[in-house]
Amino acid sequence: MGEFKVHRVRFFNYVPSGIRCVAYNNQSNRLAVSRTDGTVEIYNLSANYFQEKFFPGHESRATEALCWAKGQRLFSGGLNGEIIEYDLQALNIKYAMDAFGGPIWSMAVSPCGSQLLVGCEDGSVKLFQITPDKIQFERNFDRQKSRILSLSWHPSGTHIAAGSIDYISVFDVKSGSAVHKMLVDRQYMGVSKRKCIIWGVAFLSDGTVISVDSAGKVQFWDSATGTLVKNHLIANADVQSIAVSDQEDSFVVGTAEGTVFHFQLVSVTSNSSEKQWVRTKPFQHHTHDVRAVAHSPTALISGGTDTHLVIRPLMEKVEVKNYDAALRKITFPHRRLISCSKKRHLLLFQFAHHLELWRLGSTVATGKNGDTLPLSKDADHLLHLKTKGPENIICSCISPCGSWIAYSTTSRFFLYRLNYEHDNISLQRVSKMPAFLRSALQILFSEDSTKLFVASNQGSLHIIRLLEGSFKHLHTFQPQSGTVESMCLLAVSPDGNWLAASGTSAGVHVYNIKHLKLHCTVPAYNFPVTALAIAPNTNNLVIAHSDQQVFEYSIPEKQYTEWSRTIQKQGFHYLWLQRDTPITHISFHPKRPMHILLHDAYMFCIIDKSLPLPNDKTLLYNPLPPTNESDVIRRRTAHAFKISKIYKPLLFMDLLDERTLVAVERPLDDIIAQLPPPIKKKKFGT
Amino acid sequence: MVQLRPRASRVPPSAMVDEGQPASEEEEEAEHGLLLGQPSSGAAAEPLEEDDEEGDDEEDDEAPEELTFASAQAEAREEERRVRESVRRDKTLLKEKRKRREELFIEQKKRKLLPDNILEKLTTAGQTNIKKSSGKLKEANLQKENEDCDKGSDSKKAKVQKVQSVGQDKSYLALRLKGQDLRDSRQQAAEAFVQNSLYGPGTNRTTVNKFLSLEHKRLPVKKAAAQFLNNAWGTQKRQNAKRFKRRWMVRKMKTSKK
Repeated sequence: MGEFKVHRVRFFNYVPSGIRCVAYNNQSNRLAVSRTDGTVEIYNLSANYFQEKFFPGHESRATEALCWAKGQRLFSGGLNGEIIEYDLQALNIKYAMDAFGGPIWSMAVSPCGSQLLVGCEDGSVKLFQITPDKIQFERNFDRQKSRILSLSWHPSGTHIAAGSIDYISVFDVKSGSAVHKMLVDRQYMGVSKRKCIIWGVAFLSDGTVISVDSAGKVQFWDSATGTLVKNHLIANADVQSIAVSDQEDSFVVGTAEGTVFHFQLVSVTSNSSEKQWVRTKPFQHHTHDVRAVAHSPTALISGGTDTHLVIRPLMEKVEVKNYDAALRKITFPHRRLISCSKKRHLLLFQFAHHLELWRLGSTVATGKNGDTLPLSKDADHLLHLKTKGPENIICSCISPCGSWIAYSTTSRFFLYRLNYEHDNISLQRVSKMPAFLRSALQILFSEDSTKLFVASNQGSLHIIRLLEGSFKHLHTFQPQSGTVESMCLLAVSPDGNWLAASGTSAGVHVYNIKHLKLHCTVPAYNFPVTALAIAPNTNNLVIAHSDQQVFEYSIPEKQYTEWSRTIQKQGFHYLWLQRDTPITHISFHPKRPMHILLHDAYMFCIIDKSLPLPNDKTLLYNPLPPTNESDVIRRRTAHAFKISKIYKPLLFMDLLDERTLVAVERPLDDIIAQLPPPIKKKKFGT
Repeated sequence: MVQLRPRASRVPPSAMVDEGQPASEEEEEAEHGLLLGQPSSGAAAEPLEEDDEEGDDEEDDEAPEELTFASAQAEAREEERRVRESVRRDKTLLKEKRKRREELFIEQKKRKLLPDNILEKLTTAGQTNIKKSSGKLKEANLQKENEDCDKGSDSKKAKVQKVQSVGQDKSYLALRLKGQDLRDSRQQAAEAFVQNSLYGPGTNRTTVNKFLSLEHKRLPVKKAAAQFLNNAWGTQKRQNAKRFKRRWMVRKMKTSKK
């Protein structure tokens, strides 16, 4: 494999934003997650929990409620008072309609899927009709005294439970008037000065209303008589979210201490028909408030202020007990936030509202395997580029020569020219970028930094030629079949002839840049692509999918390579396929065409195509054999996948030149240190 | 009980007939009132010209004046006509006044609105970049947005309005100012509510490093507290100490040299 000097970078101060709402869609097995900075991400739970789409955030859009309607339509309501519908095909906001009730706290879609209920700050509950292209205001229900913080429909669509501050109201949908008003105790069997905030309600089909509030209680109410049936005190802090399964035999609640409780309807004795709700399982996977939970048919999903998304499959619901039934914790992003300029040893970090440019340190010392070399020159923070406007940055890139930086937000595209004089750096903006470049999903520069490739969210690819201080639009590749499918990944070959673009459901397209036409299409695979790269001399396209399959396709020959066919026939090692996190970056060694370097969040791997492939019996993660081991053992354990887990969690890893690697790590403790305060927990012995 | 002198309820008719027209009008009116007030004369009688002596004298002599019905009718009609005319004049005056005020208002509004050509272009959602008219728009609220917004329904009344933006050539968006402050303050109040209820007084919150330190203490292999050093503590003391140390070193050097 060779010896490398590794730049271990830990100054990327990446802190993801906390999860605010989670909504599960049963038909497509997708999860919509909204964060506190306004980003909405869509995870495909059947494609190995891969984040396939996302909508960039906005400073004024603080979403408080998220729900799916009939026909795969996603709605969200926030504190700016607007109901927003998202276009999942074109990856933009379809429209934002003001509800005229002040900030929106809660939203619920009716069981039939055609009506939308919104709970507002002024105490009004508004009913909207969902028409095929928009929503239309129908009427207001009776106005209540305080803000409506949670809403739930009865499965038949006739009644609604609305949780407010210190009370819960039950409305009749037809008349719009409040039928019952159930007052909630401020504290469990006591008096408290703090108001009791009903964070969540759920309406079951037998007329039971389940409420969770800020005093730590889960209460069962009978909506026909308006009385309290059962009271469970489960936490010392707020219980902030509730989600009921479709069969109504189990529900999950999340507390502010980070605990998630599972309640199930079990029969009182083993052969009686009478059932009661029992708290069965506690899960402690979070350290901070769990502000959103969802219940899919087989799993409990929770997300909160500690930014993890935890999916816990329930063992009794899972049919096949394999690795699919393990806990999944999604912490790190599924796309690349870092780009690298190899010539000048620069790293560009993408944050939500600014970009940072760093120059790597250098060292002149040498050492043995495992040594830490002292730096002769420290890493340098060269540039802190703030974006104008309230929108988040979608994607960014730096050219390999280091003289161009480009980034895109929803409404604008920015291109900057950098000039280096001795140790100083000066920035110059290229003005009047064309409007079709905005909302770009992926930006890439060619190897010689003369061309810029932009994949827009409409599905089209733009090629711009870069001249000194200005640009010229060369060509646009339109999407093929008239459907708009975004989430593009781009890869360009080092000789500048080929451009590969993924994201269309028809597979990966390869374009010939010299002749500006489509060259070929890699056959479609049913899992989304997570990383793409084209090898230097052989022009082999290496594709990594979310189910951890890696394909190699030869572009000049328009077919899969021999090595790829061999490994597909044999299959990957089972431990390789059981990895949790997707491969986010692939790169190559300039002098060794048989090596492919790829990494995911917890390992990096160099695949040596000349060595034999491992079968299920061989050890996949074999440590570096010491040189004094016998040749026999070394031959037995040598296989193509050289995996190292020294640097983790990895956000980015790349080969700078023949003997240098750069690894950007982000330890979890550094993220946790910057989160909001958690609830104090009294532990014995401290 | 006060004995009130009977008022001069009757002006001698001869006096009435002889006097000039205006006087007679007045006195006709007075008589009118007199005729009316006849049955209820007394303390509440209409104020009339008091001619005590004459009244006393003529009460017995004179017979009540005789007026023909026609003349009385004519008089009444005259009166009505006069009243009507005065009312009409008043009304027209008022109308004119109102009209003038309306025109003034319209003109003022027009001055404050954007010039017509810009409004036209906004309503037809033109693709071209429109030049701003100076000083008419509040620049603070112009922003570049990518959202489609509905056009304000009353285009004349709004100062500036949200405009329909079509296509990709959107360079700015005009926002209605009225209500924006209210919306912002409501949003801030809502955010403050959430912050207060989750992190405000009465909640049992602790800092992250205390939380992690407790966890480290409970691990099977005990680790140190998460943030052992508080670099921000005692900055002044540290500065003083540094200065003192420097001075002490200098002094020490001096004495050692000697």
